Amino acid sequence: MVQEMDSRVKFNVGGKLFETTSATIGTASGDAAVQHHEPLFIDRDPELFSLLLSTLRSDRLPSTATRFPKRALVEEAIYYGVAPRLRSAMAPPPFLGINATLATTILPASHALPTAIAPGSHDGSLWIAHGGQISSYDWSLTHSSTIRTHLDDITSLRRLSPVVAAVGSVDSPGLHFYEISSGSHHGSTHWSDPSDLRVYKAWVTAIASDVDTTNPIFAVFEAPHRENCIMAVDRATLQVVAQFGRLSGSSSKMAPARRLTHLPDRGLVFASAVSSGAFGYSGYMRLWDARSGAMVWETCEPGGSGGRRFGDSFADADVDVEEGAIYKVCWKSGDVAMADMRKLGDDPWAYLEDPGVRNLAGGEGSFLHCFKEQVFVGKAEGLEVWSQLDGQFRRNYVDAKEDAIRGTITRMEGGGNRLFLSREGMEGVEVWESSDFSGAIAAC
Amino acid sequence: MAHRSSPASGVESQPSIPSSSIVSINVSGELFQTTTQTLSFSGAGSVLAALPAGSLSFFDRDPALFSSLLAFLRSSLPPANPQDLLPELLFFRIDPLLLLPKFDPFSLQRSILLPLHGRDHLSALATAAGGSVHAAHGGKITTFDSTLARRDTVLTPLPVIDSLLSVSCSLIAAGASDFPSVHLVDIPSGRVSQTLAWSPYPLNASPPAIVQAIGSSPEHLFASFESPRRTASAIVVFDLNTFAPVTEIARREIYGAELDSAIPATKLKWVESFNLLMAAGSHAGPSGLTGNIRLWDVRSGGSVWETAEKVDCFADVTPCDHLSAIFKVGVHSGEVFVMDLRKMGDGHSAWMCLGDGRKAMGNGKKEGSGCRIESYENQVFVSRGGEVEMWSSVSMAGAGEKVMKRNLMGRAKDAGGNRIVQMVFGGNRMVVARKDEHCVEVWESLR
Repeated sequence: MVQEMDSRVKFNVGGKLFETTSATIGTASGDAAVQHHEPLFIDRDPELFSLLLSTLRSDRLPSTATRFPKRALVEEAIYYGVAPRLRSAMAPPPFLGINATLATTILPASHALPTAIAPGSHDGSLWIAHGGQISSYDWSLTHSSTIRTHLDDITSLRRLSPVVAAVGSVDSPGLHFYEISSGSHHGSTHWSDPSDLRVYKAWVTAIASDVDTTNPIFAVFEAPHRENCIMAVDRATLQVVAQFGRLSGSSSKMAPARRLTHLPDRGLVFASAVSSGAFGYSGYMRLWDARSGAMVWETCEPGGSGGRRFGDSFADADVDVEEGAIYKVCWKSGDVAMADMRKLGDDPWAYLEDPGVRNLAGGEGSFLHCFKEQVFVGKAEGLEVWSQLDGQFRRNYVDAKEDAIRGTITRMEGGGNRLFLSREGMEGVEVWESSDFSGAIAAC
Repeated sequence: MAHRSSPASGVESQPSIPSSSIVSINVSGELFQTTTQTLSFSGAGSVLAALPAGSLSFFDRDPALFSSLLAFLRSSLPPANPQDLLPELLFFRIDPLLLLPKFDPFSLQRSILLPLHGRDHLSALATAAGGSVHAAHGGKITTFDSTLARRDTVLTPLPVIDSLLSVSCSLIAAGASDFPSVHLVDIPSGRVSQTLAWSPYPLNASPPAIVQAIGSSPEHLFASFESPRRTASAIVVFDLNTFAPVTEIARREIYGAELDSAIPATKLKWVESFNLLMAAGSHAGPSGLTGNIRLWDVRSGGSVWETAEKVDCFADVTPCDHLSAIFKVGVHSGEVFVMDLRKMGDGHSAWMCLGDGRKAMGNGKKEGSGCRIESYENQVFVSRGGEVEMWSSVSMAGAGEKVMKRNLMGRAKDAGGNRIVQMVFGGNRMVVARKDEHCVEVWESLR
């Protein structure tokens, strides 16, 4: 293709000449700055420039880019203002559980057992809490900073904004806010109740926060006398704006929630708690109206809803925010069930069945996570994914048997097009990605 | 190092650089063009920083390596091949320390083991300002360059070196607790250039004293001497340039049975922001470990502050300039204690315990025995057996108070190993000596 003379742009990058078109570099052809007869001199590395130019032309990073550390490419792209283009060229394809491989394991430098993780919802970046520290990794999973908080064991970590973390620990009172790059402590929020003297030094068991909104964040506080409640905290002032869902903590149905999800479109907060004892699992799921603080729906197991599956209470549950559905995994049978949030009732559960695969073991110690319209269930035998095909759910394993040997999945979070998971007693966080590379192995 | 170029929103917003400020460099036939501003990051003394704008110079060097060097100057990101770049840095007279990434205590990882030849165990370590590492084993000193890719070994007359200090890029002070005098070893020539001796009674021709510790300030070299019969000790201050003795402080002599009076200092640390010398020594007697910590004003020769350590005496002690405090590990409790240098207290109650303080005292166990403590920048590092823990400060919003928090270092695979006997710091590195080992262990912050 022959291109017009006047749309051509010449650069002299560190002594090497480049010629391209204004269409490639994305500027208006009449732009004065690039419309020089003389090449425009840029004092940067020519090889990195050539790689970025190639990325701009084809939206693909040439394989020779592996000569440079990712960080050098990213910094260079930031310098030229083309970081979003590089990001889209380097980002993994849409995440599919049926086509996912272990891309890498992120290992913090010290104290590498993760205690909480918080991925960026869009860019696939990751924050890991480990040993009182928070390490942050950018969209290319390059380590960007590690900070130390005053907490020794962070058990809840959520993003308040792209730079501020909300952290809580069951060992230490309060909900705390830290800036993730500088490590400065922004402030703390505590639960106080002048009418109840038992409420003091309350700690946080779960946090829900959706980034890029003005919605309050929600946190479950538990006082030393097991009283607990959900607090709504204003993002800007870090002040408590509402509290609801107060429970006595006297039984497993009154225990503080360990999972908290905000559904901003429905104005609801999903809270669930599960405990396992000698007689199996027991727990509850509740939906609270975030504005009025009224309980909209609840189910307590065992008992409560009774229904068809009495005695097979849930081991874990998660809510799919986009789809408006709650999924649970049963501890005895290992079955997965779905409840449509539009028609919740006494027994709203529809059990997912796949005739192809049988449950090998129960759902004891399962971890369930909804991500990208798929349901991921980590069990002792491995990581399974339920994907939808023409309104039907089909079950597949994401991992190989060798992967499951590394340990039971203790936490799982999706972000960007990546699934992050940590395992019992395993250092680091596994990153699973879909890939269009065949991964061909040389046979000779 | 901060990112040197302001991130631009796009190429079009770059101000065009007038061609007169462009520096052209022909490296073995390949043309490189850059600006005086980029070249100025190579440091004032470098050949590249001196190149005038608009000039064209020729260098007969490898163009691929020059390209890496220039990329490093432009972006400040550490290069992937520092050991290849070292000869280039020497050629262009650029400070090799520039190449090392910034010290990040939270990303320190056990990354390199440097083997020592021969049969002697590693006995003392020192780091030099240029980023190189010196390791003493037996009477030998092995020097590793700043990229840790090359080494050089010299022989000294000392039987086993146990005090080592880098005086300048090429000069090392070495001492031993069973051999007299501080020996100044010139590394390039491999010769002892000078010996610094002290004798308590010069007129009596008493034998010269052995060396218990060596320290330095920007102006002085300090040596803690003890007479061979252990009856007298002193800290002698030498001029760092001429090595002439300037003054003698902390002279102690034993008359009778008062042992505590003459404990020689086994640790000498200069506290730059207060212009004081910290000298600490301890002694194991029938009533347990006792010691003392003193802060000396070198100019007046007087001690500004001192504390006798009788209850939970220090196993090791260090000042931390950045935090304006002295830190110690208690030998009985094993806890880390801190004392603010701005409001020094007296006695055991002046120490503030950083841990929960629940460890039992006086149960006969010596939890802190053999622990080492060192400070670097804003952190305090404590070794316990084969492990290192790091104390870092977290400033809390509101009251503005700072809390010291303990961090374990390394991953599970790094745990264990022989007891750590010394930790030294330099550049982006922590260098560790373990008991009965034949190698130097290096922890680096990698980016």
